[in-house]
Amino acid sequence: MKRIIKPICLPFWWQDALITIPRIACGMMLSLDFGAAKFGVPWSPPEKNLGLFEVAFWFPQDVAAYGGIFALMPVFFAWMGAFSEAVGGLLFAAGFCTRFSSFLIICTMCVAAFIQQWGQGSWNMLPSLGFLWVALYHLILGSGRFGLDYLFSKKINHAKN
Amino acid sequence: MQKISIIILLAMFASCVQPTYKRIVVLTVDVSKQANIKSVGIRGEGTPLSWSEDYAMKTLVKDSLYQCTLEINTGYLYGECKFTVNGQFELQEADNRRIYFSDQDTTYYRAVFDQPSVQ
Repeated sequence: MKRIIKPICLPFWWQDALITIPRIACGMMLSLDFGAAKFGVPWSPPEKNLGLFEVAFWFPQDVAAYGGIFALMPVFFAWMGAFSEAVGGLLFAAGFCTRFSSFLIICTMCVAAFIQQWGQGSWNMLPSLGFLWVALYHLILGSGRFGLDYLFSKKINHAKN
Repeated sequence: MQKISIIILLAMFASCVQPTYKRIVVLTVDVSKQANIKSVGIRGEGTPLSWSEDYAMKTLVKDSLYQCTLEINTGYLYGECKFTVNGQFELQEADNRRIYFSDQDTTYYRAVFDQPSVQ
């Protein structure tokens, strides 16, 4: 657990601060906008009528249309994709379980870019690729200095000593 | 054991899909201020509507009032749409119309073409 949480800190604090900006921006955007519209969380718009942890009725149908394994388990993939955005995005922004949320976001964005938007032109792939790149380097680095993972890993270290 | 619990929990959550309900909506649009009307339609989200093709509306009063009845399966409390005349959208550069479904069996929506307010 400690290995997954412990971030790799860059040589200077301002370098960590710099990479934190896209992490928070992407995480908040995913959670508050894209995720909350199709996954039931307390901050979902009330007119969407989504119960807690419910995936929007149309999303499994969209996912099934990708074919292959997605057509076999559309509800599972839709739920995981929506969860990755709404809950994973929030964890990502807070820098909590950063590598876990990065992994979820990477999987979801790979599907969005290379299956959903494939063949629709580079412009349509750009948003999901943007999230993918940001999540990719946080999968390696973790949260950096500016995230909850940094505080928790320090606490774990103190407790051990 | 922990792994099994996580899988069961995940499977339980994964079955959570928003329930849908059948909504009947009667839409009427006044197009009397438009000229050279050949067809009047509606476009929107969710079957039977689409944003790429007109759903034809029936004539109530020629060149004036047009109507259609939609049966929509949705989980949302509203639907979004725009009316078209001769395949051209109303309210260009403006927000879509939002139709909030009534608690009753049928929702009635009456509008004037290219005017966002509801009658």
